Amino acid sequence: MSEVDMAVIKPEMMKSYIWLQTADGSIQQVEQEVAMFCPMICHEIMQKGLGSSKNYAISLPQRVSPAMLSLILDYCRFHQVPGRSNKERKCFDEKFIRMDTKRLCELTSAADSLQLKPLVDLTSRALARIIEGKTPEEIREIFHLPDDLTEEEKLEPLKNTTDDPRIRLLNRLYAKKRKELKERQKKKSVEVEDGCVDERSVDDLLSFINGENADSKGVRTSKNKKKNRRRRDPQKRASIDQVAESHKKDSNGLGCLGHTTGGDNESHSTLSETSKLQDIEDDIFDQKVEFDDVDIDDEIDPALKEEIDREVEDFARRLNSDWPERMQELLSLGQDRSPVHFSSNGNGSLRKKRRDLMVEK
Amino acid sequence: MEDTEVRDLISDLPQSIMESILSRLPIRDAVSSSILSTKWRYRWTTLTHLVFDDNCVKGCNDRALLEGNLISFITRTLFLHQGPIHKFQLSTSYLQCCPEIDQWLLFLSRSGIKELVLELGDGEWFRIPSCLFNCKKLTRLELCRCEFEPPPSFKGFLYLKSLNLYQVLVGPEAIESLISSCPVLENLSLSYFDSLALTVRAPNLKYLCLEGEFTDICLENTPQLLAMSVAMYMTEDTAEHFEQSSSCNFMKFLGGVPLLERLIGHIYFTKYLSVGNRPGKLQITYSHLRVIELYQVSFEDMKEILVVLRLITNAPSLTELKISGSSHTSAATEAPDLAFWAKECPKDCTFKQLKCVTMTDMSGVPHEMEFIKFLLANSPVLEEMSISPCVYVMDCRMNMLIELLKFRRASGQAEILFVQE
Repeated sequence: MSEVDMAVIKPEMMKSYIWLQTADGSIQQVEQEVAMFCPMICHEIMQKGLGSSKNYAISLPQRVSPAMLSLILDYCRFHQVPGRSNKERKCFDEKFIRMDTKRLCELTSAADSLQLKPLVDLTSRALARIIEGKTPEEIREIFHLPDDLTEEEKLEPLKNTTDDPRIRLLNRLYAKKRKELKERQKKKSVEVEDGCVDERSVDDLLSFINGENADSKGVRTSKNKKKNRRRRDPQKRASIDQVAESHKKDSNGLGCLGHTTGGDNESHSTLSETSKLQDIEDDIFDQKVEFDDVDIDDEIDPALKEEIDREVEDFARRLNSDWPERMQELLSLGQDRSPVHFSSNGNGSLRKKRRDLMVEK
Repeated sequence: MEDTEVRDLISDLPQSIMESILSRLPIRDAVSSSILSTKWRYRWTTLTHLVFDDNCVKGCNDRALLEGNLISFITRTLFLHQGPIHKFQLSTSYLQCCPEIDQWLLFLSRSGIKELVLELGDGEWFRIPSCLFNCKKLTRLELCRCEFEPPPSFKGFLYLKSLNLYQVLVGPEAIESLISSCPVLENLSLSYFDSLALTVRAPNLKYLCLEGEFTDICLENTPQLLAMSVAMYMTEDTAEHFEQSSSCNFMKFLGGVPLLERLIGHIYFTKYLSVGNRPGKLQITYSHLRVIELYQVSFEDMKEILVVLRLITNAPSLTELKISGSSHTSAATEAPDLAFWAKECPKDCTFKQLKCVTMTDMSGVPHEMEFIKFLLANSPVLEEMSISPCVYVMDCRMNMLIELLKFRRASGQAEILFVQE
C-alpha cells in the first residue's frame, strides 16, 4: 500500500481500546471512548493507568456480569456520541429500558458500581414505575421479596402509616383478643358459664365461619345490637366464642411484641362504648368478639391452632381484597354517620352479595 | 409459589439507589413499602424529599374525614421519619388553616429544611408561625394562600435563592425588607398582591415575575436581572394615579437592567411604561435583550407605541418579538397621526437580528399596519412574520391582507403567515 493509503486507513485503526475484566475472569476489548463514558473506568484509566493491555485489564466490580457489561456498553456507545438530539436519546432510553425486572435490577446494580449516574437514574425511574400503584403482595411477587414480617408487624399501627381503616380494624381485633386473654387468665379460678358448651367439631366450626352464617342484615345501629345478639342462636354464639377465643390464643401464639396500641385503650368490652368512637371505619368492626362471661377451655389442640392461623390470615386477606367495595357501600349508606356494625365472622353479612364473586384464595 | 431458591432481586441494592427509587414514588406508595419485608421496613424513613398532596388520602365524600386523614397521614409520616428533611411540599385543597401545620413547620425547622412549598386551600388563610423564620438553611420558599409577617428581629434568609409568594398577605415594608435581606436571591415571584408599591433591591436577582395590582414598581438595584415578566392589573384609581405621576416609569423599571435577556409584559405594561416618558433618545442599550413579548398594546395610544419603539430600537440583539394588540376599530374616531411614521420615526434603525415576529389580536387599525410595515422594511434577516387578526374583526381582514401585500420587505426569506383559526 502506498503511504497515502496508509495515512487514510490509519486513523481508523488507531482507535484505542481498553481491556476490561469482569468478575468471572473473562477479558474483553472495548473502544476507549465508549468505556470512558463510565466514570469508574475513566478513573481507573486516568489515575491508575490500567486497561492498556491484556495483562493490565481493568477489573470491574463484582456486580458487573458480562451480560450487564454488554448492555451498559450499548448504552454508552449510543450516548457518548455528542451529536444526538434529546429526543433521540429519550427514544433510545425508552426502548433500552424494556427488559424483565430481574435484568433491570441487575443493570441498576451494575450501573451503580460503575458510577454511571444517567443509567442509574433511568433504571431507578423504571423500577419506580413498576412499583408504583401496586399492592404489597404484587410487589413481593415481582421482586421475590420474602414475606417475613409477621402478621402483627404488618398491622402495627405505629409502623404502618397508610392510614388504612382495615388495618385499624384488624388492630382492634388483635388488641381486643389479647386483652380478653389477659382477663381470662386472671379469672382462671372463677367459673362463670353463660351459655352452653359447644360440642361441635373443628370442621363444623370452620364451615360455620366460612359459609354458613346466614345472619344477613348488613347495617345495624348500635341500639339494635344487643337485640340482634340475643336473637341469635345461643349455640351459634357459643361457637363464635370458641373461635374468638382461639383467635386470641392464636394472636398470643404469634407472640405479642409488647407494643402498645392505641386500640388497647379504646377497645372496651361493651358495645355501646365502641359506638362512641368517631370514625365510621372503627365502628364497622362488630364488637361481637367480646363476650362477657364465657369461660372457655384454655387448651386448644395444635390442629385447631393451625386452622385458626389460617383463618386469621384468610380473614385479613379477605378484608384486604374487597375492602374498597365495602367502603363505598358503607359510605353511601351511612351518610348520617351512624355507626355500622357487622358480624365478626370472616364471612361478613355484607359480603353475602359478593360471595359468588369472591375468589377464595 | 414460595420459591426459596430465587434470590430477592432488589433489596440488596445500595441504600442510595433504594432511596432514589422510593423518592420517585408517590409518598403513599413509599410509606407502604414498609410492609414488604423486613429489609424494607424502615427504608423509606430516610427519604429527604417529602411531597404530600391530595392523592395521599383515598377520596370519599366526607370532607372532614379527608382532612382528618390527610392530617394524620402527614403527622405520622413525619413522626416516623428519621434524619434530615430537605424538601417538604404540601399542596392540598383540603387544608386551610389548621393547628397541625404549625407543628409540622416547627418540626421541619429543626430538621434542616431547605425547600419548603406550602400550597393551601381557599378559605381562611393560614398564618405562618414564627418558626419558619428560624429555618436558616432555606433555599427555596413557596407560599400560597398564607399570612406572613416576619418578626422584627428577623435578619433574612441568608441562603434563599428562590422566593415565590402567591396570594400571600404581607405588609409592603415586610416584603421589601425580606427581599433586600436575602443576599443571594435569584428568583422572585410575587402574584396577586393588592395595591402594592414595591421597590426591589436584590443585587443577585436573575428572574423576576410580578403579577397583581401594583401601584408602583421600582427596580432599584437589580443589575443581574436576566428575565422579567410583569402583569399589572390596573383599577381606575391606579390608572388615575399614574396619569398624575411625574416620575418616568420606564427608567424606574428598565433603567438598571443592562443584562436583560427576556422581557415579557402583560396587560397594561406598555401603558405603565408610557407614563412620564420623556421624548428623546434613550441612553441605555439593552445589548443582551433577545426576546420581547408585549401583550395588550393599544396601538391607538401614541405614547404606548413610542414605548414599544423605544424598546425595540435599543435592543440590537433582538431576535424574537411578540406583540398582541388591544385596539378597537370603533374607538378610532379621530384620524391617527400617521405623519409620525413618515417623519419622526427613527429612520436609521435596522433590526439586524430580528428573525421572528408574531402579531396577534390585530384589528387592522392604521397604526398597527404602519408598525408592521416599519418592521418589514427594517428587518433584513426576518424569517417569519405571523399575523393573527382579532376574533371580533371580520370585515377588515380583506383590507388588512391587501395592505400587507403592498409592504416592502427588507428580507428575501420573510414568510408572512396570516393566521385564521
